[in-house]
Amino acid sequence: MRLRPTRVRTRLTLWYVGTLACILAVYFAGVSLLLFWQSSNILKRLAAEDLETVKGLLFVADDGQVGVREDYHHHTDWKQVQERLLEILGSDGSILFRNERLGDRTIGGAPFVGEGEHGYSGRSARMSDGTRVILISRKYDLEGRTVLIRVGYNQALIWDQLTETLLVLLLASPVVLGGTAWAGFKIVGRTLDPVSKMARRAEQINSEHLNERLPVENPEDELGHLAGVFNAMLARIEQSFEQLQRFTADASHELRTPLAAIRSIGEVRLQERAKPEEYRDTIGSMLEEVNRLTSIVEGLLTLSRADAGQIRMQVSVFPLMAVVREAAALLEVLIEDKRQTFTLTGAEAVGAQADRLYIRQAVVNILHNAVKFTPVGGSISARVECTSQSRVELSIVDSGPGIPAEHSAKVFERFYRADESRRGEDMGAGLGLSVAKWAVEANNGEIGVSSVSEAGSTFWIRLPAVGCSSPSTGLPD
Amino acid sequence: MRILIVEDEEKMANALRAGLEADEFSVSLAHTGEEGFFLASTETYDLIILDLMLPNRDGMEVLAALRQKNSSLPVLILTSRDTIRDRVRGLDAGADDYLVKPFAFPELLARIRALLRRGKPESGDRLRLADLEMDAAGRTVFRDGKELALTEREFDLLEYLLRQQSRVVSREMLARDVWQETARYTPLDNVIDVHIAHLRRKLDEPFKKKLLHTVRGVGFVLREETP
Repeated sequence: MRLRPTRVRTRLTLWYVGTLACILAVYFAGVSLLLFWQSSNILKRLAAEDLETVKGLLFVADDGQVGVREDYHHHTDWKQVQERLLEILGSDGSILFRNERLGDRTIGGAPFVGEGEHGYSGRSARMSDGTRVILISRKYDLEGRTVLIRVGYNQALIWDQLTETLLVLLLASPVVLGGTAWAGFKIVGRTLDPVSKMARRAEQINSEHLNERLPVENPEDELGHLAGVFNAMLARIEQSFEQLQRFTADASHELRTPLAAIRSIGEVRLQERAKPEEYRDTIGSMLEEVNRLTSIVEGLLTLSRADAGQIRMQVSVFPLMAVVREAAALLEVLIEDKRQTFTLTGAEAVGAQADRLYIRQAVVNILHNAVKFTPVGGSISARVECTSQSRVELSIVDSGPGIPAEHSAKVFERFYRADESRRGEDMGAGLGLSVAKWAVEANNGEIGVSSVSEAGSTFWIRLPAVGCSSPSTGLPD
Repeated sequence: MRILIVEDEEKMANALRAGLEADEFSVSLAHTGEEGFFLASTETYDLIILDLMLPNRDGMEVLAALRQKNSSLPVLILTSRDTIRDRVRGLDAGADDYLVKPFAFPELLARIRALLRRGKPESGDRLRLADLEMDAAGRTVFRDGKELALTEREFDLLEYLLRQQSRVVSREMLARDVWQETARYTPLDNVIDVHIAHLRRKLDEPFKKKLLHTVRGVGFVLREETP
């Protein structure tokens, strides 16, 4: 099982500290390298100076032995210089002199070709006992003899200094890392605080309190944006929840009314002895209610299937005018009955691209609605025209009472009726316009109503069109 | 005419039996798919009314088994499954007709009659009821010797009622057979009612004897005497 801290706060803090530790490690390594390089250089430079000093102190004894005048007190701030290792070799490679500190060890072994001939030769070398040294050598002329002077310093001197510096740095780093961890933990905590607040608030929002919203501290930053998005989503949920509740209430009302009627009609009739005609009348009345129930259930089923996306559209191109004409012909008898006038104008050649059957149903429903609400002797006019190159609009204008602006968005809702008192006046269950809305929208269209109160309403639908750009051409087959 | 009803719901089965017996069919009942298949293979029937959701053996299985035996017995599926897919499956499996519950009883009767009549010629062009005479081919109709001036739709409506005379015709049947609409919906019901009113004004109002009657909650019927 992988160990993984659950809280974002802890995780972020660990990331901070980890990253900083890596950066520090790289930094320390760099510092050490630089320090080492710099110290070696300084040591080499000092060694060269020291070499000159040694040269000045060289003498050849009477017995031909080479020596260094040790009485010369050498002043230097560099303690390493006092650790000087000195070796003087003859031109044949024989050792002429070794200082006390060197004892019987050799610094650089046999000289290589050209060592110290042109200026100083500086290198890192290994002594005969394995100690690593910084070595500077130079050839000099000493009273007719050519000698090679070698000055070496133990590298351990540099290492000691380096270790010391590193130790100081390393001792300081837990403090730095600890401070970072603490600061990171605090900062992340403060940053994430709105999230926790939002989470706590969101937990309290359920179906009972859908009107509550998340706090937005700063709408400009990411978290504020998130809260804003959440709130917008909550608003949509609230809206559809309300719609659902209203729908459930309306649906149960619509379903209960006929059920209650069936029940009481039956119960009342059974309480008394009646003549056969009276029974027939009762049964007929019950059947009427059953018909009403059936049509409501059918309408609801259609809509719920539509909601579930189970209805496939059979898209074809057909002249919209023809469909409007068919719908008008179907409803003609109702129009005549109310002595209304119906006029249809528009572009014959324009084709709508949609499912003809469902669009026809939508048009019938809208037109039927217009006929219902237009008074006796009123007029209804329909117009088909292009609104753009690929859009055709059918508008149906009635001379009914109009729809108050506050209701115009609701007329397409299920079971909605502008006038509650008209409920149950005819067999319609208030689903006609909902079905129309669904049918139009399922065909990539739009539906709407614009209404001037008391001067009638204009219902319009817009559909994808063919033949709008060039009005003279006919329809494709 | 013998009809077998395969239907597991008691109330529904009894209502069907009573309704069909009233229309002078002789009816047998089966309550499970197994029983239905047994009766259908041992007895002779003129038609089967088959429910789909049945205990033991479901309606589709019974239908498939019957068709495998190469029985050409007309089968009418009566079910509450109403999706297009169900219909197609039922008809593909060899059903002759498919009716969705809840249905109007006159519609069931009309469909049964149509299935039993299958292959037999339609009644002729001259239709008659009491003093009403229609020449369907010439599209003229007389009552008591006087020609009635009907619109196209009114004529179609009267012809349909006359062909189904003495039998109740539901709004669904009119919507489908006279208006040729695939679905029945509210505006159409209103249209049908207005047409019936118009027809009644021309057909019955000038005469003492009424022929066109409304059967409340069910539909309309064209017959001689008021029940």
